[in-house]
Amino acid sequence: MSLFLSGLLTGIALLAQAGPGTWTSYGKNSLGWRYSELDQINAQNVSRLAPQWMYQTNVSGKNETTPLVFDGIMYITGPSNYAWALDALTGRPIWAYRRNPPPNVNLCCGPVNRGFAVHGNTLYKANLEGTLVAMDAKSGVVRWEATLDDYKKGYSATAAPLVVKNLVVTGMAGAEYGTSGFIDAYDVDNGRRIWRVHTVAGEGEPGGDSWAGDSWKRGGGSTWITGTYDPELNLIYWGTGNPGPDMLGEVRQGDNLYTCSLIAIDADTGKIKWHYQFTPHDVHDWDAVGDPVVMDLAINGHTTKAVVQANRNGFFYALDAATGKVLVAKAYTRVTWADGIDSNGKPILIAGQAPTEDGNRTCPGMGGGHNWQASAYSPMTGLYYFTSAEKCMRFFKTKQEYIEGEWYQASTVGRDEPGVGRIDALDPKTGELAWYFETVSTPSGGLLTTAGGLVFGGDAEGYLIALDARTGKVLWRFQTGGTILAPPISYSLNGRQYIAVLGGQTMITFSLPNL
Amino acid sequence: MRLTIVSAVLFSIAVCQGQEAKPSPSNTRAVEGGRLTFRIVCSPCHGIHAEGGRGPDLTRGVYTSGDSDKDLFRVIATGVPGTEMAGYSSRLDNDEIAHVIAYIKSVAQPDNGTVPGDTAAGETIFWTKGGCAQCHCVGVNGSSLGPDLTRVGRQRSIAYLRSSILNPDADVTPGYATVTVVTRDGKKIVGLEKNFDNFSAQLIDLSGNYYSFLREDVTSMKLESRSLMPSTYGKLLSNAEINDLLAYLNGLRGDR
Repeated sequence: MSLFLSGLLTGIALLAQAGPGTWTSYGKNSLGWRYSELDQINAQNVSRLAPQWMYQTNVSGKNETTPLVFDGIMYITGPSNYAWALDALTGRPIWAYRRNPPPNVNLCCGPVNRGFAVHGNTLYKANLEGTLVAMDAKSGVVRWEATLDDYKKGYSATAAPLVVKNLVVTGMAGAEYGTSGFIDAYDVDNGRRIWRVHTVAGEGEPGGDSWAGDSWKRGGGSTWITGTYDPELNLIYWGTGNPGPDMLGEVRQGDNLYTCSLIAIDADTGKIKWHYQFTPHDVHDWDAVGDPVVMDLAINGHTTKAVVQANRNGFFYALDAATGKVLVAKAYTRVTWADGIDSNGKPILIAGQAPTEDGNRTCPGMGGGHNWQASAYSPMTGLYYFTSAEKCMRFFKTKQEYIEGEWYQASTVGRDEPGVGRIDALDPKTGELAWYFETVSTPSGGLLTTAGGLVFGGDAEGYLIALDARTGKVLWRFQTGGTILAPPISYSLNGRQYIAVLGGQTMITFSLPNL
Repeated sequence: MRLTIVSAVLFSIAVCQGQEAKPSPSNTRAVEGGRLTFRIVCSPCHGIHAEGGRGPDLTRGVYTSGDSDKDLFRVIATGVPGTEMAGYSSRLDNDEIAHVIAYIKSVAQPDNGTVPGDTAAGETIFWTKGGCAQCHCVGVNGSSLGPDLTRVGRQRSIAYLRSSILNPDADVTPGYATVTVVTRDGKKIVGLEKNFDNFSAQLIDLSGNYYSFLREDVTSMKLESRSLMPSTYGKLLSNAEINDLLAYLNGLRGDR
């Protein structure tokens, strides 16, 4: 009842306004910081953090969603095209959405979804079968639906969309099925497609000569994690995935632009302003889809707007956000494929690292150093936080014929060496690690940082952990009962700060019991 | 779901009648096609040479869910409920599954059928001199401390079992690694891993005592990929006795 009244009082125009107490975009702000300005929970009192409510979705599968919270309601998406609106005070359900995916939709990595975007009082989510759905935030009623591409050809969609002005921007998935990647922008009001950026350069286009023959037609380069947006430069930054087929490089000789790259797109025109390719001619499935986080960096006495990413290939990069020029490039985990990055931004390759028929061991492994899990940046500490793995793998290639809509990876990886994980805090000005917390398993969930001087993250064994953002000291943890694959978020309601995360199939919120 | 019950029935008829879908290991084209599919689809769990990994070793010629072509087809097409083995009928057509079966059969080692030892003597060693039942069970008899051996003849090759007896650390079954905790008062507790995470460990020592420790309450805790099984069986038992034991273990198929 109070929710209904507050909804009436605030009015539709105020819905979804970003503020310290809300969480209205995948990366919190459009720059991808995942930094909550809330400081009620801090290093001194976090040890008293206690559960407030839980909501059990009862839907099996991997939960990777970033919740949105505004106007007293939390919005989460689940596996297999489920979504829910929950009362943010009590966890009681307001509405549920479900769309059965087609039985033969092709998915590399489970029927996952990573969250909503919002504009005004409309929510946007991708569905597995490669569609984008707009729905009313208060009722869950669908307003419009757009098809990205044909799921029967291997296209799918899992990322949270990104709202930029009057556009809803979305990526796609399916590089393991011989698809050809893109980033789309749709009119927030009616779902009309405004522009499309192809992430694979076609014949006759700039970069088209980086693909042998017609291999670009099955070039991959999917865009399965949400990008970021810098309003000052009016640029959208979006990472691209591996070229296809993953490890059989000989059928696609060349650098394979714009796979394993970061692309800067003019938000109004949909034109590529610049690109930087982290891993030319990738043969290890090292997607470059991790959050591209935009921040000001003071390097050599100059403050430069940078976009940073701990790339799956094992190197941390800070690029000039206006030009794509490499400012910092430094390995943050064990790397055996390159000796460093040269002054032109090209990796200095070490010979003999390509996959073979009988397997070839390379570090990092297929999951990379840092993969897709959400990273965070704190303007308080100036540190960039991400999860990483210290792990190597044997990579195998296999000849495989392409059949439309069929699995087209042409590769596999050998029995795992166990490896360990870390939560890393890195100085983005230098690429040096400030601290790290080693974990017994490789990373599962993403991170959150707060003005309370804290970093929150979940592990594979189900612990939600709070660490001191300056030192990495563990200050609190809670066993949620299920592997945490999603990043935590923070919001406030009635003067109380909450931390929220999905552990297993359960949404759990925490706050201080006695204020 | 491309595979229907009808097509499964048709496939089994085709197998019985020896038609082209027959997954014969002597059909080299089928074997090579199956090898390529296996490397892409099956090897992440079953190993690049079908030697096993997260999933069972498929080179031993006997299979957990049945040995007939029909059993293998059913398992590949529809998966095994309650395990990580998914169904692949939406990704592989009948011929592709038949080719995978042909490949699996082509790599089967015949060693499971030729054990030189005496099964009855091996059974006696297992329950007496070997002391195996102090940690292992067969059916309802023995201890549940170590891996259950009720069906081990289906799950492991003779070569693997011999290696496990003589060198238990060679490949430790997941969930049976060793946890060592040193308490604040200097006591060292060694046991089988039940859980080992960033903040705690749960373990059972060889006397069957259960322990749970928080990392902050102890001096150290570590997880090692080594077995608590004694590595002295090569000295305790003669070669003939080890062969007898292997004959007994190889015969453990979960049958009653």
